[in-house]
Amino acid sequence: MKEYTLWAASSVVVVVVLDRVMGTRLLARKTYWIFLAVMFGFKILVNGYLTWRPIVLYGREFFLDLRLFTIPAEDFLFGFSLITLSVVLWEHFKAKEER
Amino acid sequence: MKTEYLILLAAVGFFPFILSFDRKLGMYRQTGALLKAIALVCLSFWIWDIAATARGHWWFNDAYVLGLSVLGLPIEEWLFFVVVSFVSIFTWESTKFFLGRKQ
Repeated sequence: MKEYTLWAASSVVVVVVLDRVMGTRLLARKTYWIFLAVMFGFKILVNGYLTWRPIVLYGREFFLDLRLFTIPAEDFLFGFSLITLSVVLWEHFKAKEER
Repeated sequence: MKTEYLILLAAVGFFPFILSFDRKLGMYRQTGALLKAIALVCLSFWIWDIAATARGHWWFNDAYVLGLSVLGLPIEEWLFFVVVSFVSIFTWESTKFFLGRKQ
């Protein structure tokens, strides 16, 4: 089974739902999408380096092996979740501290 | 070079870390929230990474890591999530600042 594909796609669903239920609603803001575009620019450089060297290697049976340059498609889902969860939690805890 | 992954992380985190002390961003005023967010992101992604590495989803090239591993993950990989969550939050604050805090 394409486990990495499944896990990565699931993480996107979890993070998108968290943003709604926690009330941060970052995905509804234009600023968030600009931020994500900036992050993905940097991400392609770093993730590209990691996979080009390669510092990280992938198990063939666990992912689709669709790549942008050397970066697996799943890494973009993984990156989305990692980046988005960071700012969702930051906004959440910041709002709690200010209250 | 065994230090390559570590150098990459340092290169990614260096300027965001220094610039995060800028008074206009004022991230240091919310250190509690910052540490909580980073801790929770790390915990979630460490669990994923430990499981994925154990399952064989991915592995690390011995040529580019120091060779010190905990629960199957090189120490660089543990640090990766600390650095990336911090850089994400810093870039988010910077984006809001440069867009004039328009929502």
